[in-house]
Amino acid sequence: MSDTQVKSSVAQQGFARRRGMGAPVEKPKDGKRTLRRLVGYFKPEVKYVAALAAVVVIAVVASVTAPSMLSRAINHLVEGSFSKIPWVLAIMLAVYIIHGAATLLQGFFSARLSQRVIYRLRSELFGRVINLPVPYIDNHSHGDIMSRMTNDAENVSTVISQSLSSLFSGVLMLIGTVAVMLSYSVPLTLLTFTTVILSVVVTRVMSKLMRRYYLKRQKLLGQLNGIVEEKVTATKTVTAYNLQERTIEEFSEASDELTRAGIIADIIGNAMGPLMNMLNNLSFVIVAAFGAWFALRGMISVGVISAFVIYSKQFSRPINELAQLYGQIETAVAGAERIFDIMDTPEEDKSGEKVLPITEGVIEFKNVNFSYVPGKQVIYDFNLRVEAGKKIALVGSTGSGKTTIVNLLMRFYDIDSGSITVDGENIKDISCDVLRDSIGIVLQDTVLFTDTVRANLKYADSTISDKKMIEAAESANCDKVVAVLSDGYDTVLTAAGANLSQGQRQLLTIGRAFLSYPKILILDEATSSVDTRTEKHIQNAMIELMKDRTSLIIAHRLSTIQDADQIVVMDKGHIIETGTHDELLKLKGNYYKLYMTQFAGNAT
Amino acid sequence: MKTMLKLLKRYWYFAILAAGFMIAEVYVDLYQPRMMEKIVNNGILGLDNNGVSDISLVVSVGIRMLIVVIAGGLCGILSGVFANVTGQNYGNDVRKTCFKRIMNFSFEQTDDFSTGSLITRITNDVSQVQQLVMQMIRGFVRCLMFFIGGTTALLSLDLSFGAIVACAFPLILIDVIFVVWKTNPLFTVLQESLDKLNGIIQENVAGVRVVKAFVQEKSESKKFDDANRHLVNTQFNVQMMMSFLRPVMNIVLNIAVVGIIYVGSVQVQQGSIAPGTVMAAVTYISQILNGMMMLAMIFQTLSRGLTSARRLGEVIDTEPDIKRLENASGKEGSYAKTGKEGKDAKTGKEGSYAKTGKEGKDTKTGGKNEDAYKAAGKAKGTVSFKDVSFVYADNGKEVLHDINLDIAGGETLAIIGSTGSGKSTLVNLIPRFYDVAQGSVKVDGVDVREYEPDELRDKVTMCLQKSELFSTTIIDNIAIGRPDATQEEISAAARAAQAEDFILEQPDGYDTAVAERGMSLSGGQRQRIAIARALLKRSEILIFDDSTSALDLKTEARLYEALNAGYSDVTKIIIAQRIASVKNADRIVVLDAGTIAAVGTHDALLKTSPVYRDIYDSQLKQEGEQS
Repeated sequence: MSDTQVKSSVAQQGFARRRGMGAPVEKPKDGKRTLRRLVGYFKPEVKYVAALAAVVVIAVVASVTAPSMLSRAINHLVEGSFSKIPWVLAIMLAVYIIHGAATLLQGFFSARLSQRVIYRLRSELFGRVINLPVPYIDNHSHGDIMSRMTNDAENVSTVISQSLSSLFSGVLMLIGTVAVMLSYSVPLTLLTFTTVILSVVVTRVMSKLMRRYYLKRQKLLGQLNGIVEEKVTATKTVTAYNLQERTIEEFSEASDELTRAGIIADIIGNAMGPLMNMLNNLSFVIVAAFGAWFALRGMISVGVISAFVIYSKQFSRPINELAQLYGQIETAVAGAERIFDIMDTPEEDKSGEKVLPITEGVIEFKNVNFSYVPGKQVIYDFNLRVEAGKKIALVGSTGSGKTTIVNLLMRFYDIDSGSITVDGENIKDISCDVLRDSIGIVLQDTVLFTDTVRANLKYADSTISDKKMIEAAESANCDKVVAVLSDGYDTVLTAAGANLSQGQRQLLTIGRAFLSYPKILILDEATSSVDTRTEKHIQNAMIELMKDRTSLIIAHRLSTIQDADQIVVMDKGHIIETGTHDELLKLKGNYYKLYMTQFAGNAT
Repeated sequence: MKTMLKLLKRYWYFAILAAGFMIAEVYVDLYQPRMMEKIVNNGILGLDNNGVSDISLVVSVGIRMLIVVIAGGLCGILSGVFANVTGQNYGNDVRKTCFKRIMNFSFEQTDDFSTGSLITRITNDVSQVQQLVMQMIRGFVRCLMFFIGGTTALLSLDLSFGAIVACAFPLILIDVIFVVWKTNPLFTVLQESLDKLNGIIQENVAGVRVVKAFVQEKSESKKFDDANRHLVNTQFNVQMMMSFLRPVMNIVLNIAVVGIIYVGSVQVQQGSIAPGTVMAAVTYISQILNGMMMLAMIFQTLSRGLTSARRLGEVIDTEPDIKRLENASGKEGSYAKTGKEGKDAKTGKEGSYAKTGKEGKDTKTGGKNEDAYKAAGKAKGTVSFKDVSFVYADNGKEVLHDINLDIAGGETLAIIGSTGSGKSTLVNLIPRFYDVAQGSVKVDGVDVREYEPDELRDKVTMCLQKSELFSTTIIDNIAIGRPDATQEEISAAARAAQAEDFILEQPDGYDTAVAERGMSLSGGQRQRIAIARALLKRSEILIFDDSTSALDLKTEARLYEALNAGYSDVTKIIIAQRIASVKNADRIVVLDAGTIAAVGTHDALLKTSPVYRDIYDSQLKQEGEQS
């Protein structure tokens, strides 16, 4: 299934809920640029960065001084100058306490800093996502967008919070230690570097190997999550068709495969520690052997060797840490890259200067052509004028382009040519918010939010009074739905909508649309799961409500639209018939055929 | 939780091996400083050699040390291997057990957990628990060894050092316990606020059109902002608590170092110990410190892991509402065997009525077992509701009240009624998706609760209101109920479901992949694939739960024609909104507010049932006026 095909069909479908396979671990494409941009998020936090830096410096200095204090104390002990010991110990104690306080502050500042940065990053990202154009969301897997907002943002956050200060103190430690080592003996320092080079090489090789298996594991994990999501969501079908056994088997296979790949990946990962340990000890032996040799030649004093033993250990620790951090940072940067990718997507074009409210509700389509995918036109030369306060119905088989008309009128998608005007103004010139504010819309796929019934009904405007809400609920016949809910209007709806039937959900969405008091109301298969009597009630209520408002109704059930002022019959993107119910019946064309199929033999 | 532990037992030997190798590695780590000491003291400083360095000693001990260290490293790697094998296999088992549980949950149970939460549990929480197990095996053993090794060595030097450790230890313990106690509830809050944030994102992405249509971008951003702030604050609190752990520990242990040197200096002054002993004591205390530090790290994993383990335990320990039958042998006939046995029973037929499932299908195509059913005195495909009431568990509202209805084999029964009148609930009781509160539902004369669930569901096929397609090919989607079906059978079902035409128009015909959750197909097309899937199963009882709502009228009419022609022996229960969909049914049930208002044919109901007449009018009034 090519992307373009998905696009066209998904877009027509209206609501698309899609599953992402979990993005595999990848190397950032342009790591440097992304990193620079990520660093940009720290700029407003200069105060915290400076404080963190200061605290880290203190901590590092303290942790470098403490051992020297210790060795001085021991020296005094060996020399027998006991009187000096309490003084040294007192200083040592002070250093340790400073060190402790500094690390405590380090934790505080790095937590503050990372949370502030991640908060802004996430907020900004959501601000972007919410303003993404509808085609972007239709064409991208929802799972993928979700994973960028959650996994990637979380990854970046973890790395920022956990690695930042380690990175900082690691680098400082490294610089400090190298400086001290160089001041003692240049050749011994260089010798120590040989093992450093060795460990860098080992890290390189290992991480290459690791990457391969981690990638494989990540892919399998994505697959497994895909199965979980699909099968858990479709649990009704699984149960109805007795697929449990087979699904469990499928899952077990994927799970086993993941486990195998995971074991290999983690074994390689875990081998890093012992390997580094071996290299450290090798480094120790080298320093000891060559140190002794140098000492015999009188190039260095014996004391230098023991100092080196300590320092080479102190030196290799941050290197190992940095090597580990490198991998984490790489993943985080790759994640940040995906986040920035969304941020760089142009926002929805909401341009349109005119903020005057729509007062009439006259809609006119003039020579509108539209295709979701270039070359696959779905709307051909569409001409339609809807007078204010009229009820217009669109009928036609699936795929005839009815929903597309809604997409175009709402400016979810922009037309290729022609024009759409509302009250004589081209919709491109009207502020998008004003346009959408004036149009109430009810879709076939009922989207309700995880919130109370009240909040869902008052979605358009939370300041609406309860009285008005109840009125609207009565008009939409959803007061009966609310009556059976345990907490009435305060019942929290779950996204899955547990005990609400599709029809009940549709009633709620209709109530929600009523409460937005739109100038134009669009019902796209809004009552397909509602019984016809209830529908009739709603329609009666609507007549009152929509007295001087325009409504556009899409329905399969002809009973829904019989009383429309104008019925537009569409086929493959063309208008083939228009007229009132009676006119169209007299025409004995497509509408007549459609009507006869529904009611054939019904009239007694 | 108990089951979680039981699952862990399965890998105890790997865990022991991992722990064993870890002990070996730690032992080497503890031993290696002595070799270092020898290199430094005897080799470099030449303490035995009048202060002249001895390179040969350095090299020989150095090589020995390297060998020991390599051995230790190998032990470390092997320990990692076994810990991994344990953790990952355990995680795998937990994951599979959970998934199996979820698959057997009733709809109510799934709704209770919410699918989103179930997905997080089976993905995220499993990896947390896996991490926990691996950490516990390796890390815990490691730091315990360091701790024990260091402490014994320290105590062996001089008991007065022990007093210092004895003072420091409770302080550290308090620190750890305090942090764990404080952070544990925070992790749950953290998880919840993360769930909430993800929920908002998910809803906004899925409901983008609604958000935009209502111009609620700002208020959604505000909602997100609140959730984001809450999450960030919780995360900050967790991190703050966590960052208390190490510095406090550090301070306590470093004070202990100072204490040891002080105590040591006094004793050296008294001449009771040598300066070397003090040096060794400092080394050991830093080893203890290392162990403690690791412990702190482990506690981080522990808190998180335990929260996850609890969440998984909740799933695993939830008994499915609808259980397989136990000791079925006690029941009459042999149709009620448990588990695998039950399946085997189906292949061996004993004249009694143990032959639903596969054989049931044979019956319909071949008709050879017809007699057996009649011999058993019960017609196949009958459904009977007796005094049925149904109450939703979570709000106690009665949805169905005192339903009595007998449906004959091969009958076409339509159910019509207003939204919320209980139509769906009524048919959901037949394949036992929900259990009745009172009364009984019988299929083929046997209470549905006395069937194996899968046996019952082979008899009863339900075409759901919402057509859920899987991301595989169209043909696989149709054949999910019968993977062994031939292409001819599949085509026949697709033709009857009015799906073949558009399927053949797809780029790869039947082999076209259905894009994610069926989004490449229109609503009507998806419904028709779902109908074909139901038809292919050729069960005795076929239920359409408003599953033709997205079909246009012509298509729906053709579908019913095909149903009447090719599936006359199947009991068909059809929920529909349109009179046209139900009027040709043998009988129509009018459901109103959870009770049966009327039953009869279209013509009879028009005369006798005001509710039905009302529905009819709502759809045909205008037409009536006109003619």
